[in-house]
Amino acid sequence: MSLSRREFLKSSAAASAAAAIGMSVPSELEAAANTAEGGWRWDKAACRFCGTGCGIMMATKNGKIVAVKGDPAAPVNRGLNCIKGYFNAKIMYGADRLTQPLLRVDANGNFDKKGKFAPVSWKRAFDEMEVHIKKALKESGPEGVGVFASGQYTVMEGYAAQKMMKAGFRSNAIDPNARHCMASAVVGFYQTFGVDEPSGCYDDIELTDTVVAWGSNMAEMHPILWSRVTDRKLSDPERVKVVSIQTYTHRTSDLADIEIIFSPNTDMAIWNYLAREIVYNHPEAIDWDFLKKHIVFAAGPVNIGYGMRRAGEKSLKEGKYSAKEMETINKEMSKVVSEKEAPALAPYGYKAGDTMKHTAGTLGHWEISFEEYKKSLEPYTLDYVAKISKGNPDESIESFKEKLQALADLYVEKNRKVVSFWTMGMNQHTRGTWTNTLSYNVHFMLNKQARPGSGAFSLTGQPSACGTAREVGTFTHRLPADMMVKNPKHRKIAEKKWMIPEGTLNGVGKQHIMKIHRDIEDGLIKFAWVNVCNPYQDSASATHWIKAAREMDNFIVTSDGYPGISAKVSDLILPSAMIYEKWGAYGNAERRTQHWRQQVLPVGDSMSDTWQWVELSKRFTVKDLWGAYAPSGPRKKALPSVIDKAKAMGYDEDTTMYEILFANKIAKAYKLDQNDPIQAGYDNSEGYGDSRNVVGSDGKVFKGYGFFIQKYLWEEYASFTRGHGHDLAPFNIYHKVRGLKWPVVDGKETGWRFNAKYDPYAAKATNNGETGEFAFYGTLAKALQSGTLTGKDKTSKKKGLPNKAKIFARPYMDPPEMPDAEYDTWLCTGRVLEHWHSGTMTMRVPELYRAVPEALCYMHPQDAKDKGLKQGGLCWVESRRGRVKARVETRGRNRPARGLVFVPWFDEKVFINKVCLDATCPMSKQTDYKKCAVKIYKA
Amino acid sequence: MKTISKITIGLAAAALLIVGCGEATSATPAKEAKIAPTISEESLGLRKTDLYQEVDTAAAKTEYVNADPGTSQKFKRAFQDAPPMIPHSTEGMLPIKIGANQCVGCHMPDAASSVGATPIPVSHFTNFRPQHKFDGKKFEKSIDNYKNEVSIKETSHLQGARFNCSQCHAPQSQGNLAVENTFEAAYIAPDGAERSRWSGEAFTDELDTIKGSAAKVTAEDIKNADSPAGVSPWTHH
Repeated sequence: MSLSRREFLKSSAAASAAAAIGMSVPSELEAAANTAEGGWRWDKAACRFCGTGCGIMMATKNGKIVAVKGDPAAPVNRGLNCIKGYFNAKIMYGADRLTQPLLRVDANGNFDKKGKFAPVSWKRAFDEMEVHIKKALKESGPEGVGVFASGQYTVMEGYAAQKMMKAGFRSNAIDPNARHCMASAVVGFYQTFGVDEPSGCYDDIELTDTVVAWGSNMAEMHPILWSRVTDRKLSDPERVKVVSIQTYTHRTSDLADIEIIFSPNTDMAIWNYLAREIVYNHPEAIDWDFLKKHIVFAAGPVNIGYGMRRAGEKSLKEGKYSAKEMETINKEMSKVVSEKEAPALAPYGYKAGDTMKHTAGTLGHWEISFEEYKKSLEPYTLDYVAKISKGNPDESIESFKEKLQALADLYVEKNRKVVSFWTMGMNQHTRGTWTNTLSYNVHFMLNKQARPGSGAFSLTGQPSACGTAREVGTFTHRLPADMMVKNPKHRKIAEKKWMIPEGTLNGVGKQHIMKIHRDIEDGLIKFAWVNVCNPYQDSASATHWIKAAREMDNFIVTSDGYPGISAKVSDLILPSAMIYEKWGAYGNAERRTQHWRQQVLPVGDSMSDTWQWVELSKRFTVKDLWGAYAPSGPRKKALPSVIDKAKAMGYDEDTTMYEILFANKIAKAYKLDQNDPIQAGYDNSEGYGDSRNVVGSDGKVFKGYGFFIQKYLWEEYASFTRGHGHDLAPFNIYHKVRGLKWPVVDGKETGWRFNAKYDPYAAKATNNGETGEFAFYGTLAKALQSGTLTGKDKTSKKKGLPNKAKIFARPYMDPPEMPDAEYDTWLCTGRVLEHWHSGTMTMRVPELYRAVPEALCYMHPQDAKDKGLKQGGLCWVESRRGRVKARVETRGRNRPARGLVFVPWFDEKVFINKVCLDATCPMSKQTDYKKCAVKIYKA
Repeated sequence: MKTISKITIGLAAAALLIVGCGEATSATPAKEAKIAPTISEESLGLRKTDLYQEVDTAAAKTEYVNADPGTSQKFKRAFQDAPPMIPHSTEGMLPIKIGANQCVGCHMPDAASSVGATPIPVSHFTNFRPQHKFDGKKFEKSIDNYKNEVSIKETSHLQGARFNCSQCHAPQSQGNLAVENTFEAAYIAPDGAERSRWSGEAFTDELDTIKGSAAKVTAEDIKNADSPAGVSPWTHH
């Protein structure tokens, strides 16, 4: 490749000079050191946006990003990006970047919740955070300090945040926006495999014959994966089949051989129909040898509610929810079984008209026989499924039935490879966990899972929902690398690694992201910090959370690059360095971890979230945090003091969390070194400080930590993964290659997990394939009691299921809110290609803004006509919770059938989450943004 | 409070590092001079209207260019080799389907010059994706991603991966932006604002992001011996 000798000498000479004279600001040298292409410097990085995880090449000149191109060496995207990927170049340059902390104050400069914002120093910002955190700890204990975390954190940021929260504050009230995006997939993985994350990888696309997209607009949401699907389809249009199974027509259907439009929530019936076809009509297609070796059948309770607020909760008692809202919320406690779901629930002992009393969702399940599983499938005849699933009232039932049969034929065809992809449609679902597990059932019975070209494959939504949120464990119930806070052994391992006293970690992790909102509304959480997300725009039933933030006695902090809605409703706003202004790493949907270096200095006085957490840790000592706490919120037992144990370890009462968690002896072994080829010529604002001379949290110019903190955080986090089925490679290797798919064992990445040919852990478990082709070696819930569809046999003994996966019996059930006479239309929300999430970045990129400047209400032309609405005219979209205005679009890229509208959520001016319902999958706690009932009328 | 020990990087800069935080932890936040409540919530962000009700709020209206293809001014590329935006109406041209991609009618290079359309560049006729080997039994990579190898073949047909034009190219609404953007365009080529220069040798320009012999993954890298934090805690349990 084209690095010239002259350029190499120049840059290395400059780097040596920097080290010799102790200059700590590589960017000052950069212009002089690098003369290639008029002073352009190219480096690799990862895209900021979706879970695809594309590689980009990024050019900087004079300390600013000047261009982005696709990276031909990046295995994910091979030289191509989507429109958002290219415009990573501009995302950091919106004119209203936050450049300094802003605090709400009164005329005297004192904090005032009702005040306007005033620019303040970082020192003042941390002073306020310290005071309000101490107040929250005093009033509510660790459970009173909450963090809205993110699937867009860099790995290091997420690790620093959860370490300070769990080890420092002893609080598990940290949960990411990834809860809204991936939690059902995660619980599906845990239930089925005993361990999180997919079997397959993106190479499946080139290897398969069939791509089935379930509730996923891949064409817009994973555009580069869709370009790979398109390439595959066009390379062999006769053989390769594409099926689009959706609740409305969109771009993914434009490439499809078969499009199936189903009524919201009935994807569960379709999956069960496929399973029934296999078991009842194509038993020859079942690979019994595989099933006997590798699979058990299981069932769990069905009366688990919908993850809404429950009777007795403070805000319900105080009447904060209207009578209209309660019409839906009451179904959390009990419901009447409908005619529609009754046949599906019959094997579980329910009939139409029965009152089903709900107990809050449980992960519990038990083993059943194949005959019981078979019984659970009996109701899903073609007639029943077609009747309840057909989503387009203008399609004939015969046409719909033909498509369902054609779909079954594709799955069953003996030598046909099939990949089932899904995203939010199956995850944002009040039975999301169930639906995820249903997908594996079909693939397992056909032995089309964890093989090249075949498998059910959950696509993640965010750039590091896998890499940070899930793998690092920024969830309330998790610790790094699939460890759980409730597992005492796991807590012990983390405590030892973190050099904190045994018993420090809090074993109760129940404050998931909707619970954090609800705990703020109930007055339990008094301090909340928003990191790299926008929970006040992205959460359903939004009016409640905004009100709780603005009107209750609490202190809300938002760190962000731009002032989004969360910043606006906060008490303190902190300016964050954005992605290419810091060293970082993301992990994508195929288990690929990718690192990048700091490309430019941050804007204004902004600093990374890592820095913000580490600076906060300086404010808290052993004495401040590690004393005893009385029971609080979900924690029914006291947390013991560990101060004496801390002293026994050599700490004293005044040792800061900074010294223990971040700047300990091991951390300082990671040297800043401009002779290191990974670091040479690159800024490290946390390590060295930088030429902006930002005045830091102590009122003095920040001159850096003096060690390579990002590498330390990476290596310590990665240590938990190594030898634990999840192995991440050393830091330096990721800077030399375009990402690797974990587990990386002996320097080799893993394509297909659980498959003994490709996965060293499966190879080990099967004695290199001698005892079987597969090993589903996850360890969670791998000992079960037994029972039937209607319940567990309480006298049964637990049986171990090492290396086995599970097929679950799970029925179709109605969602809690469906269209009726008054609210007669389904509302579905989601994204568009050109905008990322709440639009905070992409609405500030001119090309992306102009491509889609507003969120439209996509609807069928006949619905518009029937409601007296005109194309391009404004309408109200109103639910039991609130209403917003949007323009009617009947000719756009999204083309719903009659009875459903789609409104994306990126637009602050079309605040659709005021309309949406905060029902969740009761097992995964992931919100169902894809369905609630609305009425539409002229504005 | 104890002072944190100095970090030894052997540089003068070390003396200026953070030294403890005792003075920063006073219980009451210190007041600073000239802190005045000047910035209203409404002035921040994209939505300048009342956040707590919706009657006075409406989205910015989409106003795409109505011009027929070939009749309007082309947009400059946003930066070197950025995908060009669509300067004409796309009405009746979307959706793109197999056998029905109306964009290629005018934008294929042989047609483009005669109708004044931007020709599809060489990159779109280039296959960057290696064909890995799978014989039904064992999958083998055809190139080595540990060496950042690439597979680049110029072909005569539009690549399937580039079939979905609207994945990168979009029409543009007129009117004011919500917020200005301070990105400054720079171009390597004099005509960089008009056409793509990304072809041939330029495909592989600057892909070696770690310079020289250090770019290779070595056995020592894999061993990771100098990483005390990176030692697995599991081997001891």
